[in-house]
Amino acid sequence: MKIKHQLAIFNALTRLLVILILWLMLPILVENVVYRHINNGLLEKKHKFIEHLNKSEIDDFIENSDDSTETYSQFSTLHSEFLVLSRSPIKANQKKAVFSNEFRIIEGEESEYRILQYHFTYEKQGYQLEIGSSLSEINDLTFIIRFFIIIVFVVILLITFLADTFYIEFLLKPFYKIIDTKIRRVNEPESFDHTPIKARSRDFRELDFVLNQMMDRIAELFKKEKQFISNVSHELLTPIALLKSKFENLLQNDSLDDNAFDKIAGSLRTLDMLKKIINNLLLISRIENNQYEANEVINFHEIITDLQEDLQDRIEDREIQFLNKMQHDYIFTGNKTLIHILIYNLVTNAIKYNKPKGSIVVEDGFLEHRYFISITDLGIGMNASQIENIFNRFARISSDQDGQGLGLAIAESIASFHHIEIKVTSQINEGTTFMLLLPEMTKHN
Amino acid sequence: MNILIVEDNKELAVEVYDFLCNVGYVCKIAHNCADALEEINSNDYDAMLLDLGLPDGDGFEVLQTVRKTKSKIAVIVLTARGELDDRINGLHLGADDYLTKPFALTELSARLFAVIRRIHGFTLNSLSIHGFLLQLQDYKVSYDEIPINLTKKEFDIFQYLVLNKNRVITRLQLTEHIWGDILEVNSDSNFIDVHVRNLRKKLDKHRAIDWFETVRNVGYRINE
Repeated sequence: MKIKHQLAIFNALTRLLVILILWLMLPILVENVVYRHINNGLLEKKHKFIEHLNKSEIDDFIENSDDSTETYSQFSTLHSEFLVLSRSPIKANQKKAVFSNEFRIIEGEESEYRILQYHFTYEKQGYQLEIGSSLSEINDLTFIIRFFIIIVFVVILLITFLADTFYIEFLLKPFYKIIDTKIRRVNEPESFDHTPIKARSRDFRELDFVLNQMMDRIAELFKKEKQFISNVSHELLTPIALLKSKFENLLQNDSLDDNAFDKIAGSLRTLDMLKKIINNLLLISRIENNQYEANEVINFHEIITDLQEDLQDRIEDREIQFLNKMQHDYIFTGNKTLIHILIYNLVTNAIKYNKPKGSIVVEDGFLEHRYFISITDLGIGMNASQIENIFNRFARISSDQDGQGLGLAIAESIASFHHIEIKVTSQINEGTTFMLLLPEMTKHN
Repeated sequence: MNILIVEDNKELAVEVYDFLCNVGYVCKIAHNCADALEEINSNDYDAMLLDLGLPDGDGFEVLQTVRKTKSKIAVIVLTARGELDDRINGLHLGADDYLTKPFALTELSARLFAVIRRIHGFTLNSLSIHGFLLQLQDYKVSYDEIPINLTKKEFDIFQYLVLNKNRVITRLQLTEHIWGDILEVNSDSNFIDVHVRNLRKKLDKHRAIDWFETVRNVGYRINE
């Protein structure tokens, strides 16, 4: 889940909690306020009643003065209020005024009332006065208020949720931009875009700044490595060039005896090997240092045809049958020289480790929407542990083979430079297949 | 033909110098940019061999300066393989060819021959040896005006040996010349023998070729 959604949901939940608490507290709040208001009204009425109290009025209220339980009631027409006066003896410790909520039936209609019970003595006679005020309206009102508030809260919740989502998205925009332009699309430090990302939050500006700094350091290291590679090649290869020239000039000397001549020729071969090892190692370093461009259009069919021509001598020498079964004209963008080396190395391996009069089959096709080229030989094959090691530098399948075991290490470097996957399947004495699985979506740029 | 060798390694410069003088060129050595520029400005050179890593600067600076004033000088850049960008740059800035170190001296002379020939408008169009005539433009060989049918590789081998006549050319040198500077560490260069054998067979039909020697299982030599 993305951070913007997480934040928005978290905000919404906390707001929901607040609203829930408010909603639950609402009746208590409303009742407190409303009851105080009603109580005050009832007390005021009581005051008025007591103030104007006299014998005749009591008599008016209580018609039959002999009957102590006789009461007199007075109602407002809509039964919203009533007043009851009755004789009742005053008990000890009895509170003078008590408020309570009770249901009363008045003229056959039951409803809830807020009732003030007031006990007083008048001319040594104890009386109980009850003044009631209907709560039905209040209850209706409370319900309406709660309902209304719920609607308002839901609307607020929705609006703030949307606002949150958009605002968080707006805030996080630089973050995704940094990821996209500064991290994901960067393959080499030289192509790094140093323009600062516009961000409102200082955090992202800082992140951007730190990333830029980091990239600068990496770029610096890359540059140093490049310089080092360049120096190494110059400093190592110049002396080799000198030795080579000297030996070649020596070979022209007619006074050399056979022994010396062979030794010089042998030295030249060793020098050649040394040169090739250095060049191979430099090649790997330079691929890993991203010193190659990958913007050439490559036609695999063409490369295979060229290679077959180049290697015709070797193929004929070992009487190997070379079958090119390629059917697709697949176009790939990459570095032509490197791809050529990659396939060259695989094909020469297939020749080297083949059986005499064996065969090499080159096929292509699509596997899960990815184009592949496979090079299969009917050679000596490898077991699982050998396959594991073939891409290591200076690894050789068998010690009696010549070569320095860099061919496949180079092949792997080139493949990973182009995001090509190499799959190897092999069986001892049956042969080996190298499959180059190209990255998806590279067709026709 | 005057050639300026710009190379900071003094011993290597001397080796190249000796070799080229032997072939018949007039050579001079410069060990740094300053000397090279001074030489170029004070003398007329037909070609320059330019090493890139010089003690007082980059060989490219020399190349750029030279190209501003002299157009008819052939420049071959001598570079180590690690300087890849340089290689592309070199051809772009007006080098006529490049050779990666370590190079065979015979390869150098073959390239030099080709570059000078090109710069001077292909005035030299053929080579001849013991009555065989090599037509360089259309890769044809004839003897007494009878055409000899050679493959491209056989022609290349023949031309290379003729250009470097009286010198032992090792199989390795020939292999590198024909198949280029392949990276594969695999020194069995026997395939060259097949082509040489075929070439000799074809030449032998027209004239005895005792001058086309096999030297001690190491290489070949054509004697004049």
